[in-house]
Amino acid sequence: MTMLKIENLHVQVGTTEIIKGLNLEVKAGEVHAIMGPNGAGKSTLASTIAGRDDYEVTSGSVTFQGKDLLDLESHERAGEGIFLGFQYPVEIPGVSNLNFLRTALNGVRKYKGEDEMSAGEFMKLVRAKASDLKMDVDMLKRFVNVGFSGGEKKRNEMVQMAVLDPKFAVLDETDSGLDIDALRIVSEGINAQRRDDTAILLITHYQRLLDYVQPDVVHVLADGQIVKSGGKELALELEEKGYADVA
Amino acid sequence: MQEALFENYEKQVWELAGIVPGSEGVRMRAFKQAVKLGLPTKRDEDWRYSDVKFLNDISFSISKKPKAIEVKQAPLSQNYAARLVFVNGYFDEDLSDYAELLEAVNVRPLANHFTSNPDRVDELVEGGDGVALLNTALMIGGMVISVPANTVIEKPVEILNYSTGTEQSASHIRHVLEIGEAASLNIIEHFVGDAISGNYWNNSVIQARVSEGGSLTHHRVQEEGAHAFHTAKAHVSLDAGANYSCSNLMLGAKVSRFEGHVKVMGEDARATIDGVALAGKDQSHDILTNVRHMVPGSTSDQVVRTIADAFGKTAFQGKVIVDKDAQETEADQSFKALLFDRRGEANAKPELEILADDVKCSHGATVGELDEKAIFYLTSRGVDPVTARQILVSAFTADAFERVDDELKTVIAEKVAQWMTERNIG
Repeated sequence: MTMLKIENLHVQVGTTEIIKGLNLEVKAGEVHAIMGPNGAGKSTLASTIAGRDDYEVTSGSVTFQGKDLLDLESHERAGEGIFLGFQYPVEIPGVSNLNFLRTALNGVRKYKGEDEMSAGEFMKLVRAKASDLKMDVDMLKRFVNVGFSGGEKKRNEMVQMAVLDPKFAVLDETDSGLDIDALRIVSEGINAQRRDDTAILLITHYQRLLDYVQPDVVHVLADGQIVKSGGKELALELEEKGYADVA
Repeated sequence: MQEALFENYEKQVWELAGIVPGSEGVRMRAFKQAVKLGLPTKRDEDWRYSDVKFLNDISFSISKKPKAIEVKQAPLSQNYAARLVFVNGYFDEDLSDYAELLEAVNVRPLANHFTSNPDRVDELVEGGDGVALLNTALMIGGMVISVPANTVIEKPVEILNYSTGTEQSASHIRHVLEIGEAASLNIIEHFVGDAISGNYWNNSVIQARVSEGGSLTHHRVQEEGAHAFHTAKAHVSLDAGANYSCSNLMLGAKVSRFEGHVKVMGEDARATIDGVALAGKDQSHDILTNVRHMVPGSTSDQVVRTIADAFGKTAFQGKVIVDKDAQETEADQSFKALLFDRRGEANAKPELEILADDVKCSHGATVGELDEKAIFYLTSRGVDPVTARQILVSAFTADAFERVDDELKTVIAEKVAQWMTERNIG
């Protein structure tokens, strides 16, 4: 079953076209990796899927489970089951992680027509997910990402993903800035989200993450288009020869 | 221009003879000084950011004491030590509830103050500009609260200032607070205008003296009517080890202004003045502080946050003076303003006058917009945009309410959220 389908997508930031006719199809149960040089448009693609409104789609379509995603606002996309793991998770002083996450979860539940989750139930869920990702619950009482190390921010993203349990996760360089231990923990978080009824789009620079999270399909993104797709061996080839030779 | 105004106000001084017995002489002295100084205009440095036109355009008459009136306003703090209710500036004995407080504290209307303490009357002339002097010249009442040494009143004493808001009426209120040694008092001033109130002017002055080791907490919640003018000053002096902690929420009125003047006269004393001002369309809110450290080893801290929507205006003028002898003073000041719209306005003027050489003073002032990246982060996780903005605004204003106790903090947070809901920005 097709989860995400992107056809001939063109995206402009300001007056510059970044995505220039991109096609991509991701089916349920699949993990796709998008690799590519800096400036190829990887983060723009991720933010466009999540609905950042200063990224203007000038033509093309993005559908999610048959629904036109471009018609929906960012929080509605989250309600449909889209999750964006940020390359640079935002620090928000004055807002506690737990309050934020509970508001987000209840926002998603409200969108789906479900009742709010009680504080007790929520804490139980968070405790379980935080423990899977070796994250101290006390850290979640602190302000969103404030004073967190790079690794802690990325683990926090994974805790949020686990709690929100999205159908489709776009993870934008979730592996950058992680040491080996943190990379393993984060990878376990991603693998836990890998199911028959979910799909994951990994955006990464490095083969390293793909050792832990084995992709079904690897794409090379260059200058706003997917120029080559293949199996997981394509990632190895890229690592060896560089983007210029492969693409 | 102001001659006609002062002619009117001089008549009022005479009309008020007898309302606060013993104050006749001081009223006339203050009035003459007011005439000499004039009422503030845009040309006065301290008032340059304010919409002071009303002071020069409108000839106010003294507000009338309403006949028996029902005031349904709920107290801000359910668990209060006393509730003192003023209607149009007149103390309303029936609506007030302070019998219990009287057992520990001397509470009396200003009207009875000078007959027994004629020498105290000169204290009233101190302080300032034409607006303060006019307050003295035209005061219609207020409360004198004296807390004896070592008496700690933990629960708040709420002073409700309710205005029916007759067009062009003015209430000049004067409170006198005396906190004894190691005594403490917690005041909540709540200013509320009737829903159908007009362009009335509420002009209030609080003067307070906090003796050695004493503490005065002073919260202000300003929700005057939409057409109202609100000017308020607190003049506080602190003895050694004394503490003054002030917070402000400015929501109502067309034009509003709070001035906090603190003289830190004793070592180890501490003064904090915090404030949040939320200015919607055609509103102007000002906070002016003037903290003077006169002796070594005292501290002060100010945290002010303002938000201006389209055609709203906020200003913060924060002055810290450190006298030559006031070594080891620590003074901090933080001002942040948000603009919801490019047509909003925020002004900041931090001023440090430091004459001592061994001090730690800091100040910061920023003006910005809500962080779009943070909004996207929240909405991408499923928070709707209206709630996302509310969350960020609560966080932004929370810094300035950190020193407020939890019960009032909750009430204030709800009022801020309500203000956001009314903006309907999403």
